[in-house]
Amino acid sequence: MKIDVRLNGRDTAWEAPAGATLLAVLRDGGPNPARMISVKRGCETGDCGACTVLLDGQPVNSCVVAAGRAHGHEVTTLEGLAADPLMISLQKALVDHAGVQCGYCSPGMLISLYHLLRECRAAGVRPDDHAIREALSGNLCRCTGYVKPVAAAAAVAAALEAVQAAAPGKGTVAS
Amino acid sequence: MTEVGRNVTKIDAFKLARGEPVFTDDVHPVGMLWAKVLGSPHAHARIVSVDATRALALPGVVDVAWHAQVKAIPHTRAGQSHPEPSPWDTVIMPEKARFIGDRVAVVVAEDLATAEKALGLIDVQYEVLPALTDMDEAHRRTDVLIHEVPDPRGIAEGGRSNVAARIDKQVGDVDAALKTCDHVVERTYWLPRVQASHIEPHVAISWLDEDGRLVVRTSTQVPFHLRRILARILEMKEADIRVIKPRVGGGFGDKQEMVMEDLVALMTLRTRRPVRLEFTRTEELICARVRHPQRIVMTTGVMNDGTIIANRMQVTADTGAYGSHALTVQGNTGQKVLPMYPCANIHFQVTCLYTNNPISGAFRGYGAPQGCFALECHIDEVAKVIGMDRLELRRKNHIRLGDTDPLSAKLGEGKEGLVRVIRSTGLEKAIELGCEAIGWGRKRPPSAPHLKRGLGMALAMQGSGIAGVDWGAATVKLNEDGSVNLAVGATDIGQGSDTVLAQICAQELGIRYEDVRVLSSDTDLTPFDVGAYASSTTYVSGGAVLKAARLVREQLAAMAAERWKCAVEEVRFGAGLVNAGPDRTMTVAELASHALYHVKVQPMATASHMSNESPPPFAAQFADVEVDPQTGEVFLRRFASAVDLGTPIHPDLAEGQIEGAVAQAIGYALFEEVIVDAGGRVRNPNFLDYKIASALDMPEMITILVPTQEPSGPFGAKAAGEVPIDGPAPAIVNAICDAVGVRAYRIPVTPERVWRQIKEAGE
Amino acid sequence: MWDLKEYRIAGSAGEAVAMMRRGPGKGVYIAGGTDLFLFPPTCDYVVDINHAGLSDIVGSPDGDLFIGAATTLHDLATNPLVNRFAGGLLSEAAAHCGNRPVRSTATIGGNLCNALPSADLAPALLALDAVCYIADEDSQESLPLEDFFTGPRKTVLDGRLLVGIALSAEAAKRRALARRLTRSAEDIALVQVAVALEVIDGRVGAVRIALGSVAPVPMRAMLAEAQIEGELLSDLTPDRLADAGLIAASECDPIDDHRASAEYRREMVGVLTRRVLASALAWNPSDDKEGGAA
Ligand SMILES: Cc1cc2nc3c(=O)[nH]c(=O)nc-3n(C[C@H](O)[C@H](O)[C@H](O)COP(=O)(O)OP(=O)(O)OC[C@H]3O[C@@H](n4cnc5c(N)ncnc54)[C@H](O)[C@@H]3O)c2cc1C
Ligand code: FES
Ligand code: FES
Repeated sequence: MKIDVRLNGRDTAWEAPAGATLLAVLRDGGPNPARMISVKRGCETGDCGACTVLLDGQPVNSCVVAAGRAHGHEVTTLEGLAADPLMISLQKALVDHAGVQCGYCSPGMLISLYHLLRECRAAGVRPDDHAIREALSGNLCRCTGYVKPVAAAAAVAAALEAVQAAAPGKGTVAS
Repeated sequence: MTEVGRNVTKIDAFKLARGEPVFTDDVHPVGMLWAKVLGSPHAHARIVSVDATRALALPGVVDVAWHAQVKAIPHTRAGQSHPEPSPWDTVIMPEKARFIGDRVAVVVAEDLATAEKALGLIDVQYEVLPALTDMDEAHRRTDVLIHEVPDPRGIAEGGRSNVAARIDKQVGDVDAALKTCDHVVERTYWLPRVQASHIEPHVAISWLDEDGRLVVRTSTQVPFHLRRILARILEMKEADIRVIKPRVGGGFGDKQEMVMEDLVALMTLRTRRPVRLEFTRTEELICARVRHPQRIVMTTGVMNDGTIIANRMQVTADTGAYGSHALTVQGNTGQKVLPMYPCANIHFQVTCLYTNNPISGAFRGYGAPQGCFALECHIDEVAKVIGMDRLELRRKNHIRLGDTDPLSAKLGEGKEGLVRVIRSTGLEKAIELGCEAIGWGRKRPPSAPHLKRGLGMALAMQGSGIAGVDWGAATVKLNEDGSVNLAVGATDIGQGSDTVLAQICAQELGIRYEDVRVLSSDTDLTPFDVGAYASSTTYVSGGAVLKAARLVREQLAAMAAERWKCAVEEVRFGAGLVNAGPDRTMTVAELASHALYHVKVQPMATASHMSNESPPPFAAQFADVEVDPQTGEVFLRRFASAVDLGTPIHPDLAEGQIEGAVAQAIGYALFEEVIVDAGGRVRNPNFLDYKIASALDMPEMITILVPTQEPSGPFGAKAAGEVPIDGPAPAIVNAICDAVGVRAYRIPVTPERVWRQIKEAGE
Repeated sequence: MWDLKEYRIAGSAGEAVAMMRRGPGKGVYIAGGTDLFLFPPTCDYVVDINHAGLSDIVGSPDGDLFIGAATTLHDLATNPLVNRFAGGLLSEAAAHCGNRPVRSTATIGGNLCNALPSADLAPALLALDAVCYIADEDSQESLPLEDFFTGPRKTVLDGRLLVGIALSAEAAKRRALARRLTRSAEDIALVQVAVALEVIDGRVGAVRIALGSVAPVPMRAMLAEAQIEGELLSDLTPDRLADAGLIAASECDPIDDHRASAEYRREMVGVLTRRVLASALAWNPSDDKEGGAA
């Protein structure tokens, strides 16, 4: 089937089998030249989150989403956020906190954290430890025990809050 | 120290965080074929015939191979040093399937969907044989043999029995000693089958290079062992094989094994085309390796005052269909564990059985988590029997500085090993700090009236590489601008060894870590290393890097002394500078440039390093749990680890090793189990049902590094990768017992198991 | 890969049923796909209902709620109307399903139509007397959720479309609580118990006790409900609640599987029913914060 999708801000046309998952189209290429290799395959049952992407701004596990579901929608992968300041600060924090070990889960984690922090920023709240863990609940990491990734996210959240507090007309808001 | 002990930016972290194409599957060669393996539907069956006509007729299918077409050269896929201590009981394509999922045929096609479809079009006739899935039955029966042909090197008892490995070693005389003890405590413990579950599955891609040489890019922990094994079973020269290890998405022992590389290589040689094979998660949970399930009987003789007189550990283990690591994992169960409480009488026995279950193998901890669970639960049991405080009992008996470990000498890696003397230990300090962190003796009240609270602890020790066996080499090359290329055979599989090795190199050369570039694991370009296992990389490979850097430093010192007309001993290195007194200073870059353009010598050295010691890192680990006695639910509230890993070269990465190991061990204690039914079928081969810890399963974590100086290690370092995975399960189970008064002898302690035990205790 | 011939995208409920009935061959509806991609059925085409106008949550002025079948679990978990309805019972249930990314696409309709004994929304919806709205090319039907499930992975649908779920304002004021028991934080539930009841002048009015993962289909424990309904609060001693729990346990029909034994599941129905009942009865309306279950 032909799928018209806005991929990382560009209108893109995919040719994909009707039964394909979004993951297969994004990652494996086939007739579509651009492989989005930040999108990883870890379980194909929606459990590990290595394949997390944003579909219309919401995090989804692309291995359990039909490719056809993206028709007429917007898909964002880590590649598409390479220049996004929030994503860059998250990547830096994850690295600085030694939250990257093998790094296979990192792109998926970053997408989930990016989504969380963007939502929190819009709502003017700062996510607490539990909210961060909840946001990461779909990203299995077998290396880190989550301690350092959670700390990295908390640090970025704190920095965002400081920026917001400094901005006129906005106060700090607890979670 | 500046470079060692500093939390430098992990060398590969940014490219990983940006999702750049650095893993095996991220780059596909042109014209690549996709492979799939047809697994046996039977736990034990002779493959009578394979007919691939229909599969080959499917458009897009390029080739199908099965046993009749592939030369059968016995080997082991264990991925160990030569001579391998695992039985050579394996061939590329077996004539007989020995577990559900065993290789029957391999297909390559132009795309994945076609390869998948082709599997269903291969017609196979099986002669189904009786399946042995219970290890005791496998032990009893000699009428059904899983391996009918004796192992050519006599390790397993193929052809005679289903015993894959046996150990029986004794120090002193346990039977006699037990008669003299005030108390003899005997208990039996059961350990489950769990899977490493690295998030990147096994994946390998092979092709022929422009010279027709075989290139295998693979997610492996052991590139050099792999090349050796491939060369032997494919009857090629090692020089005609190049194994490249790119970034690896976690290994944990499971990628020590040659799980699939022989298949892609075979199909590339047959088709002359690039071939890719990646396991699905289901295949991982069925066809990769699992931690050996074991039953352990512990017998301890102890005096009223708590002196341990004798210890016996009897292990029965299930190696599954093949004997990968059968001898050595089980050997470790005793060797890495029993020395914690030295006594004059120690008896260690192993019977490791072949069954028609999934294959057991290497997994972080390598037998020690099983042994540590049994021993550390048992110590609590002994304390209870003799009415002594469990911390006191441990303090009274645990191993100390200067103690020797007689069992190591008897065991080694499957052969007589080397005597081990403890030359550094932070165990006492770790116990003290851990107790303080968890609030030992000051149990917190339960958070709700229907809950019960408990504290538990466990001590653990491991090794740093395999003494007298593990070795590695490194090449250090200094460039004219003062930067360094470091080539190591050591394999970074996510743990950060490239970073740590670069730090060691920089420290020794007195330059900045940021000026070192690491090339790791390409058998064409880097020197040999046994690979990433047995907690060896920092200690053993780090030793090689240190030596190589030292050699380069000596070359530089000689050149500087020559130029300054001073004694070599006067030349000092540090902060990027070389000097010999206040008025004789230059940068390392200036000296390097001098070397290349005046002396006309490349400052460069390759060094190899092996250690006859394997100094144990130590851990004291503590759990604070709440238990709901009516539902059996366990809520792990806090977990503290105090770990002596020698000098932490990179403290954050060291903590990360501990935190990650604890997360895996929490799963081991509470919910992970590959469940295999009586027919040998895995019942939960996916992450929907095989649960590993998510961010929401983690307790409050307290991680304490207890630095010590290990004289034999690079800058005093030991190892961190494995020891912290040993203690959590017994600590958690001991805490549950403290909370509700009943002990789980079997993990994982699912709610139902806790509930059942409480109920049975009440009856 | 799932071997499908065609992916059809429906623009309305009417179009969806028409596309389904058009053939040729066999078709299934697809909403989130989070269940379908795990267990792909053999079929020729799918009909995507995500653009069929079935994703809205509509509240009536009287306080009734209509939830479109393609509403995602994330929307259920966060929608203010659902958060307020019966103490947010349904929101809580949705928030416990799977993980965050799964909830972005998984739908309420998919959760019910896949008809797993462990479907997490089912007990909450049963406790709230949910009514299913079903459509076909030329017919419409509504029926109580209790009559919707016919067996494990079986419903009354037979190719028809679940349009949505209606909850009546009556249920909105119930004190509602649930508990699910799992092995790890994110796991298929071993046992689920949801309770919704009303208390009028110190006396218990309507009571619903719904159970999941303990019978071929999600079910109500009606005999246990009868033990509580109409009773004076002051008469409902811990022993009486324990009895109600035991009765609920006797009503369920669990199986042994590799996750838990039938015996354990049954006993846990007793324990959890007693506890959830006790909490619901002890519920102090003044603690009843808007938007959150206790
Ligand atoms: C990682 C993961 C974790 C999960 N955890 C949980 C959990 O904790 N609890 C739980 O209950 N479930 C869980 N699930 C299962 C599943 O995701 C949910 O049940 C989800 O709600 C299904 O919705 P869906 O829209 O994705 O269904 P789909 O996959 O789109 O459809 C499921 C079935 O329902 C049919 N269907 C869907 N909508 C309609 C309709 N409107 N009319 C007629 N038929 C329809 C489809 O044809 C299909 O047969 C989990 C799934 C995953 C992948
Ligand atoms: S690959 Fe999609 S969630 Fe694991
Ligand atoms: S860093 Fe390896 S899985 Fe997360």
